[in-house]
Amino acid sequence: MSRHEIRFELNGEARTAEVEADRLLLDLLRADLGATGTKEGCRIGICGTCTVLIDGRPISSCLYPAVYADGRKVRTIEGIAPDGGKLTPLQQAFIEQGGFQCGICTPGQIVSATALLEAHPKPTEDEIRRWMMGNLCRCTGYFGIRRAIETAAGTAR
Amino acid sequence: MSAVETHPAIPYLPTPEERVEGREKVTGHARYAMDVPIAGALWAAFVGSPYPHARVVSVDAKRALRMKGVRAVISGKDTAPVRFGRRLQDWPILAHDRVRFMGERVAAVAADTRELAEEAARAIEVEYEELPPVFTLEAALAPEAPVLHPERASYLYLGGGEPPKTTHPNQQGVVIHEHGDVAAGFAAAARVFEHTFEYARNHQGYLEPRGTIVWIEKDGVVHVVTTNKAPFTLRMQLSKALGIPEETIVVDAGYIGGDFGGKGLSIDEPALYFLAKKTRRPVRSLLSLSDDFQVTNPRHPGTLRLRTAVDAEGRILAHEAHVLLDGGAYAAGKPQAGLIPGDAGLLLAGYRVPAARVEVVTVYTNNEPAGHVRSPGQPQSAFAADSQIDEIAREMGIDPLEIRLRNAIQPGETDITGHEWHDHLAREVLETLAREMKWDRPLEQRSLGASALDGPAVPRSSTLVGRGIGYCARHVGRGKTELEVEVAEDGCVYVITGAPDQGGGAHTMLQRVVAAELGLPVERVRARRGTTAETRHDPGVGGSRFTPVAGGAAIDGARRLRAELEKLSSDLDEALRLAAERHLRVPGMFDQTQSRYSVCAYGVTVAVDRDTGQFRVTDAVLVADVGTVINPVAHRGQLEGAFAFGLGQTVMEDLVIEDGRVVTANLDGYKLPTMPDVPPLRIVLLTEDYGPGPFGAKSVGELANAAVGPAVANAVRDAIGRRVWSCPITSEKVFEALSGARG
Ligand code: FES
Ligand code: FES
Repeated sequence: MSRHEIRFELNGEARTAEVEADRLLLDLLRADLGATGTKEGCRIGICGTCTVLIDGRPISSCLYPAVYADGRKVRTIEGIAPDGGKLTPLQQAFIEQGGFQCGICTPGQIVSATALLEAHPKPTEDEIRRWMMGNLCRCTGYFGIRRAIETAAGTAR
Repeated sequence: MSAVETHPAIPYLPTPEERVEGREKVTGHARYAMDVPIAGALWAAFVGSPYPHARVVSVDAKRALRMKGVRAVISGKDTAPVRFGRRLQDWPILAHDRVRFMGERVAAVAADTRELAEEAARAIEVEYEELPPVFTLEAALAPEAPVLHPERASYLYLGGGEPPKTTHPNQQGVVIHEHGDVAAGFAAAARVFEHTFEYARNHQGYLEPRGTIVWIEKDGVVHVVTTNKAPFTLRMQLSKALGIPEETIVVDAGYIGGDFGGKGLSIDEPALYFLAKKTRRPVRSLLSLSDDFQVTNPRHPGTLRLRTAVDAEGRILAHEAHVLLDGGAYAAGKPQAGLIPGDAGLLLAGYRVPAARVEVVTVYTNNEPAGHVRSPGQPQSAFAADSQIDEIAREMGIDPLEIRLRNAIQPGETDITGHEWHDHLAREVLETLAREMKWDRPLEQRSLGASALDGPAVPRSSTLVGRGIGYCARHVGRGKTELEVEVAEDGCVYVITGAPDQGGGAHTMLQRVVAAELGLPVERVRARRGTTAETRHDPGVGGSRFTPVAGGAAIDGARRLRAELEKLSSDLDEALRLAAERHLRVPGMFDQTQSRYSVCAYGVTVAVDRDTGQFRVTDAVLVADVGTVINPVAHRGQLEGAFAFGLGQTVMEDLVIEDGRVVTANLDGYKLPTMPDVPPLRIVLLTEDYGPGPFGAKSVGELANAAVGPAVANAVRDAIGRRVWSCPITSEKVFEALSGARG
């Protein structure tokens, strides 16, 4: 298997890594770089627990070859609120509105919803459903997640 | 959207709570087993059987062992005769004589990396000799059926007592209950109804893969990092299975990424112990979700045959039930003495049942072993029983609400288990539901929702609408636990518990209960979870037990602390300062013995496309009798989550096994509800019947998923005039029922 040196930005910091061609971004982040905030779930691109942003776009890092990250900006849950920093209104709303229970889907939910609010600062209910349907949650039934997004967007009724 | 209509006043606690682990969970810093870094840990991988029933002839690991970085391979020869399980230890750590289901593990590898371990596992050659498989309940219970566990008598049965008495060698468990004069009830009946229902296999569907790390220190102490939700119980099970003292095992469970009953059974831990012993290195594993769907312990599928005798007004006189469940290859997933899933015998929960005979049998087959899933046994029993009540109402021309009101149990009456009932709100739950649903007004015809994501728009003319009620009751958990309450140097009060939080908000509940009891602001109280070496014995989260049992222990600990503080000073702050200097620590204990229940009812509306059978639940109301609410945000979340969980089980989830092979072996085949799948839900809480938990709390986590099944079934029946007798109720089955109606 060929090895490649890649340079990318991880949560604002320049990084280099040497990866095999088939190394998945999820494994690069979690196993090689110790960035374990991004969670492993199904590994087949369905559950969304592994969601990260590539140049602002949400992707499933379990399907994304790490070499593709070369020259790109990768943003993970660790980069949503900078270390020790203040929570974003969305993160705060996830706590207050019951946006999580077990929390395993939460990094992916918050990463996806952060991108949603960047693209649509005042999303309609339909836009929320459409955008978030790739992030499964077994615990909340999605009610608290939707409330959290609407609260952060200021559209909660 | 979901709205909680009546918000209970909680006199003791500020509302709403802020979860103690909230910040960690929203920033990605919460530690799950998969995140624990262990230097030098090897990775484990397993070899699973491609046959559902076969003799293991030989295991050849030569090729795997030649691979650079492969450190050890073990097979059944190395682990025999050790078996594991929650009650009956019948599941071999690695198959040593034969495999009894497809995917059953026959060998394990430890290697330097995860990828290498998996590659090495593929290089192991196993020779099998196929045996005739048994897939159905009928085949398993046939007189000449192959006996799947001829050596059953030698298995360890934990927890004292005798294993259940069986009458056929392929029976796993048997529970027979009888009370009242059943024969007289049937003799006196105006009508007798007999129906048979089928229930499919569901998976817990947690999104966190099971993660495990095991290492053995030089002093012989075995360390286990786990996703098991009951660390002390796991320690006991490992001790019994491996024959090593409990004191030499330390179990550490962090946050658990969803459990829903399944993570009370551990399957990797015992094998990793053998690998760690052989390699003298830490060994870790992460079970892929796709393997989890094939080799762990999903819900029991089965057949429920019910006979119910009623008087001329539809009042239940006597009930008879035969519940036959596929327990799969091993009974290891079931903690109950009778080796049946939890409340499988709780037909007609929340109804008055003067006489009953209920027989529940679990059966060994060559399918995936079954175990516990959120309110184990109840989705099956509620689907059958509350569908039957609805059917009886329709057959007798009684209103479906009215028949439930006539039979709803009152304090002092006898329930399906033959026990006296002590809860007050069964009728009120139904009456409230009727008001909320505007039951007395006919349902308006309406078309399916406009959203493109809600499925193809169906023209008004071909839409059938219907509404249904689903009613159920669930016990408030019983049992014992212990914790400690300590005043630390920082002047804060710490509640120290051995219970992990799998998402229900366990630690926040402890914090708030202790704060309320001591009259301290919640910021001055913290919860700390510790390993089994650092904490007092706790039975783990589950069984609808945590709030009523551990909450009681928290009250007890807070009271003991207050007594000690009063000795130090009459001023609370001064007393805490002095206590902090002394590291004052007191135990808190509780034994919850009351037999109490919560009752809930759903009203749902469905819209069905007459031509295709496609249908949607368009909205739902839940009325629940819950006692005092401690954590309003988490409490609401449990009910909302239970609704979605119940909906998934009812309309889409089916862990299909064909000829022993799990066909829907990951989330691509086994569909979980997504955000657009979940319709609006309104929740109405009745809080005035106090439970045995702290400040009058009851349990809520497993209350509300079982009744979704009958509610949807009854609504579909109302819409199309035909019943679907098997769960899940898919569009295909609705289409078939409609075709039957046309044909
Ligand atoms: S782990 Fe990537 S989508 Fe499930
Ligand atoms: S919070 Fe548990 S899966 Fe979403």
